[in-house]
Amino acid sequence: MFNFIQLIRNENMKIYRRPRTWVMLFILIAISLAVSIMAYAFPDGANGELPSMWLPFQISTMLGINIVTIFAVVIAAETVAGEFSSGTIKLLLIRPWSRSKILLSKYLTLLLFAVLFMALFLVWNFAVNWLFFGADTAAVRGIDQLPALNFFLQYYGYEFISLVMVVTLSFLVSTVFRSGSFAIGLSIFLLFGGQLLTGILSLMNYPWVKYVIFMNLRLSDYLNGGNMFARAEQEMTLGFSLSVLAVYYVIFIAITWYIFKKRDVAT
Amino acid sequence: MQQHMDEPVVRLQGVTKRIGRRTIIDKLTLDVPQGEVFGFLGPNGSGKTTTIRMMVGLMKLTEGEIIVRGHRISSQFEQAIKHVGAIVENPEMYKYLSGYDNLLHYARMFPGVTKQRIDEVIELVGLKARIHDKVKTYSLGMRQRLGVAQAILHKPALLILDEPTNGLDPAGIRELRDYLRRLAVEENTSVFVSSHLLSEMELMCDRVAIIQAGKLIDIRQVHRSGSEPEAAQVAFEVDQASEAAQLLSDLEAVHQENRILVTADREQIARINARLVSAGIKVFSIRPLTKSLEDQFLEVTGGEQIV
Repeated sequence: MFNFIQLIRNENMKIYRRPRTWVMLFILIAISLAVSIMAYAFPDGANGELPSMWLPFQISTMLGINIVTIFAVVIAAETVAGEFSSGTIKLLLIRPWSRSKILLSKYLTLLLFAVLFMALFLVWNFAVNWLFFGADTAAVRGIDQLPALNFFLQYYGYEFISLVMVVTLSFLVSTVFRSGSFAIGLSIFLLFGGQLLTGILSLMNYPWVKYVIFMNLRLSDYLNGGNMFARAEQEMTLGFSLSVLAVYYVIFIAITWYIFKKRDVAT
Repeated sequence: MQQHMDEPVVRLQGVTKRIGRRTIIDKLTLDVPQGEVFGFLGPNGSGKTTTIRMMVGLMKLTEGEIIVRGHRISSQFEQAIKHVGAIVENPEMYKYLSGYDNLLHYARMFPGVTKQRIDEVIELVGLKARIHDKVKTYSLGMRQRLGVAQAILHKPALLILDEPTNGLDPAGIRELRDYLRRLAVEENTSVFVSSHLLSEMELMCDRVAIIQAGKLIDIRQVHRSGSEPEAAQVAFEVDQASEAAQLLSDLEAVHQENRILVTADREQIARINARLVSAGIKVFSIRPLTKSLEDQFLEVTGGEQIV
């Protein structure tokens, strides 16, 4: 293992030398800006008062985190399946690197992309709304009435864990089925269809329901109290959900690596 | 380095690949010594590409072993593959990257491949003028050159090329051929080339293996210009073929239409010619009837169907 960083540099090059990555970043920045401009131009208050910075921040956050997840899913879907469909996998795997390490470099680069986009979005969203609406240190959020900044930092943290789960599934499908579009489709279903399924599953009173991945994916519910009733009934806690996700995560990763190492490359 | 000299660069031992119940490659055994250009010839679907995929670790072997420089590709992949440079099928590159970034990508995966080495290789394959353009703007010939460039970046001991002349124009083919011979002679690189262009193989290779339906049928030395064959069949085109045949009956000459066929070496050819001319027979042409590799190939494989 002479220089693993070089593999990461390669994968980074393959992401950031493509125009679409920059389009993604532009869309993300534009959405946050658009929400702030709307909130600034059409204040909702009876006497035309500007809202607290945390209101547009919250709206942008809900949109933005889903968009970051979708972008990361697209990158995850492409990173392995794309190498297969373009045939470049053949030249990539005949280097003095084990398949495990090549796959690891791809996965880590993917997580770096997600961290980078999430962090850029958080900082940008915060800065823009602060500039537009001024600081608001008194605001509180969530069931525990935490200070807003504290609340949202935790919120981003929880959402990032959910993102990692969805993206890891996309990476799994991309590797196992070598189909980018299938990976994107299935992951987006997990992301949005999952929210719908959670509602349906919550109504069913079977003991296994609480082990379904959808039920545990929205960790931020533990912060702001969504779905709390069903959760309490099922005796679910944050620690429980994290443990369930950890088990799914290990299974996803194990399947991905096992298949990638074993597969005959015959494209 | 010294201890490597007499052992083959790559050794295939009873290499077998089965997919389901079909045997794709059946007990293939061969050695490629250092500095040899080795041709791998077979009709379409005979298993050439499958063999190459196993040699570079893209496919697992069902049975047997492939050993590169003393390292097994199955269990010591990283040590074995560092001595190998390859193009498998078409040289597929990252189209959205420039040629240079593609080379940089592969250079980063080997220790000790410097920027100078990258520039040297670019110069060598003649892509200097276009190297910073995106690969999607390249012609097939240029991609093939870039493919060769990525394969030789780390100065491999064994260069594996799958149908390297595909998509090259005649000048490009000639250039590649000269370059491969130079690699073999000057850098002592072993080259393993698969091709269906039989005449190409004749010009390029020292030895040629012929496979069919996954079985090794024959390995033979290719006669290269300079090493004259001993006695060969020669055709003399003459004006009175039957008289000529009679005249040369001591040499068991055969009369065939307007020519006679006789087995002779260089010296004998000159003497036969003198005898014919002094007997008043006009000689229009003298042609040795060496079998081309193509004839041999068709003879050996019997022009069989794809199985």
